[in-house]
Amino acid sequence: MAGRRATLCRMIVSATDITRRYGTGEAAVEALRGVTVAFPPGQFTAIMGPSGSGKSTLMHILAGLDRPTEGSVVVDGTEIVGLDDGALTQLRRDKLGFIFQSFNLLPVLTAEENILLPLSIAGRTPDRAWIDRLVDTIGLRDRLRHRPAELSGGQQQRVAVARALASRPAVVFADEPTGNLDSKTSAEVLQLLRHAVDEFGQTVVMVTHDAESAEVADRLLVLRDGLLAEDSAGTVSADAAGA
Amino acid sequence: MRKVALRGLLARKTRLALTALAVALGVMLIAGTYVFTDTINRSFDRIFAVSLSKIDVVVTPNDDLTQDGDTPIPLDASLLRRILAIPGVHSAEGSINDQSGTILGSDGKPVSSQGAPMFVASLNGPTFESLTVAKGRFPQTADEVSLDKGTADREHFKLGSLVSVQGVAARKRYRLVGLTTIAGVPSLGGAAFATMTLPEAQRVTDKAGRFDAIDVEADPGVSAAALRARVRAVTPKAAVVRTGRQQAKSQSDDIESGLSFLSTALLAFGGISLFVGAFIIFNTFSITVAQRAREFALLRTLGASRRQVLRSVLAEGLTIGVIGSAVGLGAGILVASGLRALFKSFGIDLPSSGTVVEQRTIIVSLVVGVLVTVVASLVPAIRATRVPPVAALREGVAMPETRSSRLAFPAALVLSAAGVALMVLGLFVVSGTTSALSLTGGGAAALFVGVALLSPKLVAPIASVVGAPIERLFGLTGRLARENSVRQPGRTATTAAALMVGVALVCFAAIFAAGANKTIADAVDNGLRGQIILQNQAGFGAFTPEAGNAVARVDGVTTVSRVRSATTRVTGIKGKQSVTGVDPATFESVYKLEVRQGVPDAQSAIRRLPASGVLVETGYAKDHHLKLGSPVVLATPRSGPLRLTVDGIYKDKGKLVGSLVVPNAVLADRFGVVKDQVSFVGLRGGREDKGIKHEIDALLTADYPQVKAQTAAQFKQGQRDQINQLLGLIYALLALTVIVALFGIVNTLVLSITERTRELGMLRAIGTSRRQVKRMIRLEAVITALIGGILGVVIGVVLSILVTRAINDFTLAFPVGTLVAVVIASGLAGVLAAILPARRAAKLDVLQALAYE
Ligand SMILES: Nc1ncnc2c1ncn2[C@@H]1O[C@H](COP(=O)(O)OP(=O)(O)O)[C@@H](O)[C@H]1O
Ligand SMILES: [Mg+2]
Repeated sequence: MAGRRATLCRMIVSATDITRRYGTGEAAVEALRGVTVAFPPGQFTAIMGPSGSGKSTLMHILAGLDRPTEGSVVVDGTEIVGLDDGALTQLRRDKLGFIFQSFNLLPVLTAEENILLPLSIAGRTPDRAWIDRLVDTIGLRDRLRHRPAELSGGQQQRVAVARALASRPAVVFADEPTGNLDSKTSAEVLQLLRHAVDEFGQTVVMVTHDAESAEVADRLLVLRDGLLAEDSAGTVSADAAGA
Repeated sequence: MRKVALRGLLARKTRLALTALAVALGVMLIAGTYVFTDTINRSFDRIFAVSLSKIDVVVTPNDDLTQDGDTPIPLDASLLRRILAIPGVHSAEGSINDQSGTILGSDGKPVSSQGAPMFVASLNGPTFESLTVAKGRFPQTADEVSLDKGTADREHFKLGSLVSVQGVAARKRYRLVGLTTIAGVPSLGGAAFATMTLPEAQRVTDKAGRFDAIDVEADPGVSAAALRARVRAVTPKAAVVRTGRQQAKSQSDDIESGLSFLSTALLAFGGISLFVGAFIIFNTFSITVAQRAREFALLRTLGASRRQVLRSVLAEGLTIGVIGSAVGLGAGILVASGLRALFKSFGIDLPSSGTVVEQRTIIVSLVVGVLVTVVASLVPAIRATRVPPVAALREGVAMPETRSSRLAFPAALVLSAAGVALMVLGLFVVSGTTSALSLTGGGAAALFVGVALLSPKLVAPIASVVGAPIERLFGLTGRLARENSVRQPGRTATTAAALMVGVALVCFAAIFAAGANKTIADAVDNGLRGQIILQNQAGFGAFTPEAGNAVARVDGVTTVSRVRSATTRVTGIKGKQSVTGVDPATFESVYKLEVRQGVPDAQSAIRRLPASGVLVETGYAKDHHLKLGSPVVLATPRSGPLRLTVDGIYKDKGKLVGSLVVPNAVLADRFGVVKDQVSFVGLRGGREDKGIKHEIDALLTADYPQVKAQTAAQFKQGQRDQINQLLGLIYALLALTVIVALFGIVNTLVLSITERTRELGMLRAIGTSRRQVKRMIRLEAVITALIGGILGVVIGVVLSILVTRAINDFTLAFPVGTLVAVVIASGLAGVLAAILPARRAAKLDVLQALAYE
């Protein structure tokens, strides 16, 4: 947490004038209609909005999973719009982590193997101390050899959080990570993310449509009809800075 | 990544097993063929090496020139005297080894040699004899014989039994005094060996003063090679002089080249089966890749590159290929003995001592199996790399339509057309057998793939045709089955295409066989004017002229016209050429040869064929630019070249006569041909007569049991039986291909059921019974199989029309009953393939199915 203030001026992810149209002509849908937003390091941002407002689309574009029709996206200093597949793959390995609504663990691998998967895909040797710390954080040391099918939904999502953090990405994107969980386990997973931000200085961008979930975040963005309707930046982030 | 691929495989064991089997069966046949033929070759090698081990030099007649069909012309006894006079010759001995005699049991019936030849052999001195007595002793007098133990056991002969031998001379009875083995085995590939004293063997085979071989032993210190050169110097050019080792090698090579046709054919069937297996693998991978799109997308969001995804799918292919090939190799080694049994049941007995697994067998099996699997999984693997990472986050992101899939339809049309073009090229344009065969085969393969690619468009129409009655019969279940089968037309099409290949080849074989039968029947109807055909029991090979003489004496027989044959070389023309001998005076009354041009005229060319004349078949004349009056020079065994002039050009619709026809008298004078190859018998009034036929049958059974008399109808039936036997063998081998295709149906159904778990759960939840679920799956399989069956029959018909066009005078005939039966059998095969998937679908727990995922 030392030096966090020093890098505050640099944004981890910034998007400028993003529009996204699906389809052409009459049937065209404008999912995003000019969104400009930036995410400083070490901040926990929640994106809210009604269904169909473009939350997922924005997140996909920020993560390089989808291309904006117009606009630019810079991740950790690199313009990612127009990168080829190889460069995007490298970006995902180095800088991004994902948490999914439906956990998306590989059923054939154990919990531990799932956590290490991004590292083994990238061909990196895991930092054992870091992984140990993550395992302790998620509190599933005794379940590491279990397959996903032998874990509860909350446990699976905790494994998914550890997986997202395993490669120490610059930013973790989570699309409705609590959408499939009951309120108790939801709270556990949200605390875990909060913990990652507070203890590890992790940047987290989370899409949710649950106001309660959004409360753990430092900052709240609200999308409506493809436009940024509200941004609690400033006040919230100042609070977070003081935390 | 690798871990993911391997764990994924292990998690889906049924699929792994079924996919690996798709490769394993083809590899099994390939490995089996190699082991089978290597084992046979090795056994023969050993037998020849052992039996010739004591012989330094062997002299045998050249088999370019033969008499009486393919009997080499024997050596003169004077040669033995000349050889004995050579310095360095320790001993030498002439021997008889004759294939033209017939061995008969005490009941007067010829012994069975299971398609292998029967030998009358002379007993050699202890230095040269390759046979060993297993029981009893060797013959010592002219009334004794020994038999190979294999034949004796098969025929239940005991020492002291009476055995007859019929050579050219009248039949004689011998007392069986010994049972022999050769190089430790009781039988040389089923061949029957009757051994007797040398003078008796010479007498019975009409080779007094002559030998089939002369064996020479060198003095100590004289090398076989040196001795061979000395023997060569005194031996006429027409004979072959080899060292014992060369002779063993030459005999082994003969066996090997004799088997090479068989092994090539078997390998081709293995290849076809692998080709079908490739369809299954392609389909299985396509389905699983589609089902695992989310998983690939997830891996991509976690940082996996396209290359890593590609490699993980290919690694799966590789693993399946390795497992399948290894299983196939193991099964092939086991199945080699099964192949032997299969051939034995079709009348071909081959020796085998110990299983031979060459390094080549292992390498080829593994490489071919792995290559096929990996290549077949390549397209699905590439498709897997196209899954966008965002698919991990979005519901319902479909596999992207690739450019290639939009081009699929025109590409399929082009490929099918190219396949037909290649076949046409191979069949009608290219002349070399190997290139013609590979062009035709390649063209057929391209056609299969082309039609397979086209078939997604054909699935819906065919399904609605075959589905209509099914729907009417089974109501809603039938309707769902039909809808399910057209839901993923590409998948159904590939599954059906695998079956299509097997069915098409079955139909092709059936149509081809029906055509061949018809062609032969037409030929007999067109050519034969006589009422009865005399032939050796085996259907080929010469028989004693005495039989014809006896038949001629039967009351009511007006003509016995003999056809003989020899092999020779024609000056200026490459290769061996068979020459047919006829009796000019009687031939026309029993057989119709259409003489187109002749000297003095077409009508009398045959009747007045002089000793200096030869009749030439039109095609042969055209190929070698022969006209009336052209010279034709034939090599002869004893005297110098035989100069003939073309006295007639004929067309032989009956196809029973070869390309060159000369008078029998010329064959007798210049080639020493005295036996008949076939005789046409004319009866009084030119009509068939049951009474006379009976009398001839009785006469032959009594005195010449190696000869059979057949009416035209019997002859045709005999030919038909042979063709049908071959057809049976082909069916048996194609069954493997069909089985692979059935595994494909099983696999596709199992995968589709996994995909539709939720839907099946829903159907069960709203009251569908287990039986109905089972029936639905079964009907879906039946529809898929029928699509394959129908497409297969159509392609089979097209293939056979194309191929038979290339054969001169081939009459096409469609065995409609068989073709209909094939379609019905396809449907039944579908029922069979559905057993396991239907059971699985019915076992689904409703609640769990609804909670799936
Ligand atoms: N791949 C797509 N093709 C067409 N329209 C899409 C696609 N993805 C999203 N949309 C549309 O874009 C709009 C925004 O979608 P999304 O970002 O998923 O909203 P949210 O996540 O806020 O519910 C919706 O109208 C949706 O239908
Ligand atoms: Mg969404």
